[in-house]
Amino acid sequence: MSQLLRVTDLRVNGPAGTIVSQMDLDVGAGETVALVGESGSGKSMTAKAVTGLLPRGVVAAGTLGLGDTTVELAGGPAALTGLRGRRISLLLQNPFTSLSPVHRCGRQIAAALPVELRRSDAEVARRLEEVDLPARVARQYPFELSGGMRQRVALAASLASDPEVLIGDEPTTALDVTTQREVLDLLARIQRERGMALLLITHDLGVARERADRILVMYAGRLVESGAGDAILTSPRHPYTAGLRDSDPPLDRRVDRLSAVPGSVPRPWEVVAGCAFAPRCAFADDRCRHEAPPLESPSVGSPSVGANPTVPDHPTLVACWRPLDPATAVTVVVAAAARDQQAPMPLLSITGLTKRFSSDAPPALDDVSITVGAGESVGIVGESGSGKTTLARCLVGLERADAGTIDWTSSLPTARRAQIVFQDPTSALNPSMTIGAALSEALRAGGQHEARSVADLLALVGLPLSYTRRRPASLSGGEQQRVAIARALAPAPQLLICDEAVSSLDVSVQAQILNLLADLLDELGLALLFITHDLAVVRQVARRVYVMRDGRVVESGETEALLTAPSHAYTRALFASVPGRRGDQGATAGGADDRSS
Amino acid sequence: MLRFALGRLAATVVLLLAVSFVVFALLHLAPGDPARNLLGPRPSSPEALAAIRAQYHLDDPFISQYLRWLGGVVRGDLGQSIRSDEPVTTLLADRVTLTLQLASFAFAITVLAAVPLGIAAASRAGSVIDRGVSVAAIVGVGAPTYAVGLLLLYVFGVNLDVFPVYGAGEGGLDRWWHLVLPAVTLASGLGALVFKLTRTAVLGELDQDYVAFARSRGLSTRQVRALVLRNAMVPVVTSLGLVFGFLFGGTILVEVTFALQGIGSLLAGSVTFKDIPVVQAITLLTAAVIALTALAVDLFSFAADPRVRKRATT
Amino acid sequence: MKRPPLTPILCAVPLTVVVVCAIGAHWLAPDATEQDVLLGVVPAGTSGHLFGTDQLGRDILQLSIAGARSAVVGPVCIALGSMLIGVVLGTFAGYFGGWADLALTKYADLLLALPTTLIALVVAGLVDGGYWVTVLVLVVLFSPTDIRLVRGAVMTQAARPYIESARVLGLGRLRIMFRHILPNVLPVALATMLLNVAFALVAMSALSFLGLGVGPGEPDWGRQLSDGRDLLGRNAAAVIVPGVLIIVTAAAINLLGDWLQERSVERAGRR
Repeated sequence: MSQLLRVTDLRVNGPAGTIVSQMDLDVGAGETVALVGESGSGKSMTAKAVTGLLPRGVVAAGTLGLGDTTVELAGGPAALTGLRGRRISLLLQNPFTSLSPVHRCGRQIAAALPVELRRSDAEVARRLEEVDLPARVARQYPFELSGGMRQRVALAASLASDPEVLIGDEPTTALDVTTQREVLDLLARIQRERGMALLLITHDLGVARERADRILVMYAGRLVESGAGDAILTSPRHPYTAGLRDSDPPLDRRVDRLSAVPGSVPRPWEVVAGCAFAPRCAFADDRCRHEAPPLESPSVGSPSVGANPTVPDHPTLVACWRPLDPATAVTVVVAAAARDQQAPMPLLSITGLTKRFSSDAPPALDDVSITVGAGESVGIVGESGSGKTTLARCLVGLERADAGTIDWTSSLPTARRAQIVFQDPTSALNPSMTIGAALSEALRAGGQHEARSVADLLALVGLPLSYTRRRPASLSGGEQQRVAIARALAPAPQLLICDEAVSSLDVSVQAQILNLLADLLDELGLALLFITHDLAVVRQVARRVYVMRDGRVVESGETEALLTAPSHAYTRALFASVPGRRGDQGATAGGADDRSS
Repeated sequence: MLRFALGRLAATVVLLLAVSFVVFALLHLAPGDPARNLLGPRPSSPEALAAIRAQYHLDDPFISQYLRWLGGVVRGDLGQSIRSDEPVTTLLADRVTLTLQLASFAFAITVLAAVPLGIAAASRAGSVIDRGVSVAAIVGVGAPTYAVGLLLLYVFGVNLDVFPVYGAGEGGLDRWWHLVLPAVTLASGLGALVFKLTRTAVLGELDQDYVAFARSRGLSTRQVRALVLRNAMVPVVTSLGLVFGFLFGGTILVEVTFALQGIGSLLAGSVTFKDIPVVQAITLLTAAVIALTALAVDLFSFAADPRVRKRATT
Repeated sequence: MKRPPLTPILCAVPLTVVVVCAIGAHWLAPDATEQDVLLGVVPAGTSGHLFGTDQLGRDILQLSIAGARSAVVGPVCIALGSMLIGVVLGTFAGYFGGWADLALTKYADLLLALPTTLIALVVAGLVDGGYWVTVLVLVVLFSPTDIRLVRGAVMTQAARPYIESARVLGLGRLRIMFRHILPNVLPVALATMLLNVAFALVAMSALSFLGLGVGPGEPDWGRQLSDGRDLLGRNAAAVIVPGVLIIVTAAAINLLGDWLQERSVERAGRR
């Protein structure tokens, strides 16, 4: 079968060195291929290279085939003139920035229509209808629309030239989970109707599993594994794919411990020789460290490739000297024994908390009451605008509630009651202060400088003592977040608040931090208030959970019970929206049925 | 629109009132007896001083003096010049045309040269041309107007003898011919500033996602450029408004350098002479022009940017 | 990949020369103000007077060397003073907000409503106080921009999670301001200060060009320009030398400041 889009031997080089190398990929008409990778894997650069949108100073080489046209990418963006936009279109991640703020939506859609249709309001209305938007949107400006609506407008705009191939670069990552599902469904429907080839670039294994026929896994600028979606995630042959899958917390059950991949993703140009994953790989031997493995059909284990009978055209390929045996590779994740906790002593109770930022906006918090017991881990789940962050900020005194009470059972000083870890690790630490200075300041602030040392804190979060003299900029995101946790623990608080503290981390690093938090809870007996939008994560972390929406608590209860049988419609909707987590072992999701027709 | 305009107009009036208050206070801040200062070089007999005190109501409370003065300003009475004993309005009327001609000439050169250059440099960011013009602009922004003026004067006026050296010419074409060097001088600094601001604005827009998205949809270079320029328009026009202030600071030096009898050289002369009514009038006039420019820029961005409209109406 | 930075090296050369002249004026140009009215104007190249003399028979070269002092000292003081005000008031306004913030912003708005040159001319001219009064006036006139700059930078930092964490740790406000916020604002402030030196140099010499600031007879580039305006035909060097000196000095400082600013912005972006 000759594929519609064929990219051969793609190489992308930036000022610092190689970003992508030896990349082959192809997508057939009507097919969905997911390109999966963590940050720095080169997946976005691949999309930009194919669409000729590389930033200044970055050049691509390789061949791009589309139907019966072949283009040398080394010819620069000019070589793609006839293809880009006409036959290949790109949908970007952030709907808030991808549309011009001062032009009406209708005009932006019309701009890429065939010349004779550019002035036709009816055509624009038809295009809007295709993405389930009313015709009036044509006269609106992007800032008057919600994120989901803007992404629909962007989709309509990228489809205006009726491309044969659509590349979605994390097209739903910036959206809330319920909106994400709507947009993904829409994408699937339009792809089916138009018979378009869809290349979906994502960091989210769930999205890839649920939406893609085939999955390509990238690591440090190279393809490490490719094959049919179910096969790859059911019996991964590359240790990295397996690690990625296993660090992704399951939605349907709680596991004792996530299997985290140690370390973090290297920059592609830092990989000197051998397999880029070798330093983090449990199976790596000398050969792995010195010789880069080619992408080929795995020779180890049963060659029958029984795992993917559905798409014989696409047998699993893996770039690994020691691929996992599909028979043994299935990691058996043991469900955690339900920790038998007696009802803990109360630590904190919040009653009727209300907060309004402006008189004409709906309240950020509306009569919220929650309790946290000593040593208890409590989750708060909600989408953006649910008030979950405002609640955390009120608790640590960064905001003042308009009404309601926050009662602590202890009479400790404020700093020793609760500490907080924020989402963005890069701005969590003072860039001009060394790690040691930041931690010892925190120890003194909490009066703990005699009880504990900086070395104790670093050991607690699993960082070497040598980090004392480093500055935040020289640490990876995961390490920065570890330091932020250490700093929060310095005053020995009774409650640790994590406000989306793992959301901006790569999946493999996220698992490390979640495991670290679990250990810390056991070790220090501290209570945890874990705020997140991610139901799967909260399931792993919290014993009890509150679901928030529009500033109110809509449902609460024991995590296991609540997530097994959510009773409130909103919780059910949230639950149903989580992509691709219907079961870990290759159960087909709703989207897959759509495609088989 | 009307509500926004009225609101901004009110803010402008408040600002101008504040400026007028400070300007009026100048008379009393200047060292020495105000009456003495107002008398100037005339013999300061007790009778003359008393006459001045009566004429300017100097014995009244400060506020009522101010209000009386402000009333005069509103009616178009800016007082008498100490130096020439003429009404300040007459003095200004004689000179305002030349300054306006100089300023508009320089402003035209600035807009016509710097804005296109800024756009061109931004779309070729990092190229030799971009670097060259950018360095020239940094030099231009810092180079003092009068030094540039004198050097130009030496090269083109004395050495090459292309342009007239001093004076404003006979009117008509000759006037404009005489204004070439002064206007170029004035425009060099302004143009450098406008160039930098335009380049930054366009570069900022080019970095935006919507540009990449437009390219990815296959929009033609012309369409993409139109998109970028439409977005960059508001910050560029804002910076042009900003430059207006510098324009009036610059005219003082250029007029002195080229011996042009405009408002700027009048101000410089009046300051040295302590001709306070004239200084007050010119300061207030400049503030008014600048405030009105700012008002116009605000109204423009209201009309050109739907986000500003939204913020203004909610 | 790593090139030695060309800009700062190229800028450092003329700046070093100017600073050396400013410090060593007494030794390098002992006869700068020596008049020789009988000699009058002689063109450049006359023996003993490389760049000729002005109407008063003063040697242009020596006068220009000595002029470096007033060209450097005042502007450096202005930039330092105004940034000091900017840092103190800007930090308070940015971090504490409230009425103090409002008052400072309004004050800055008022001063920015008029061109600096004009206010400086009017105030310095009416007060009539010579070099140091002019310096003081310019400090006051420069400070609003610095206050705004620091205020903005402080507000950006104050909203960052690391500052919020410091607040949650219960650190004192002063400690947060001086230990956490200021070090991260300083790079931008320093770059701006350098740019301010250039602006102050231009403003100061503009005032002396208009006959304010330095007293008559004092060596000063701006005054040399205004004195030499009528000499263009007889000894153009009287204008060209100080003119080029001002332009080159201002340009070197500006280029250096621009380079520093870009770097500090880049570094802030990487964080």
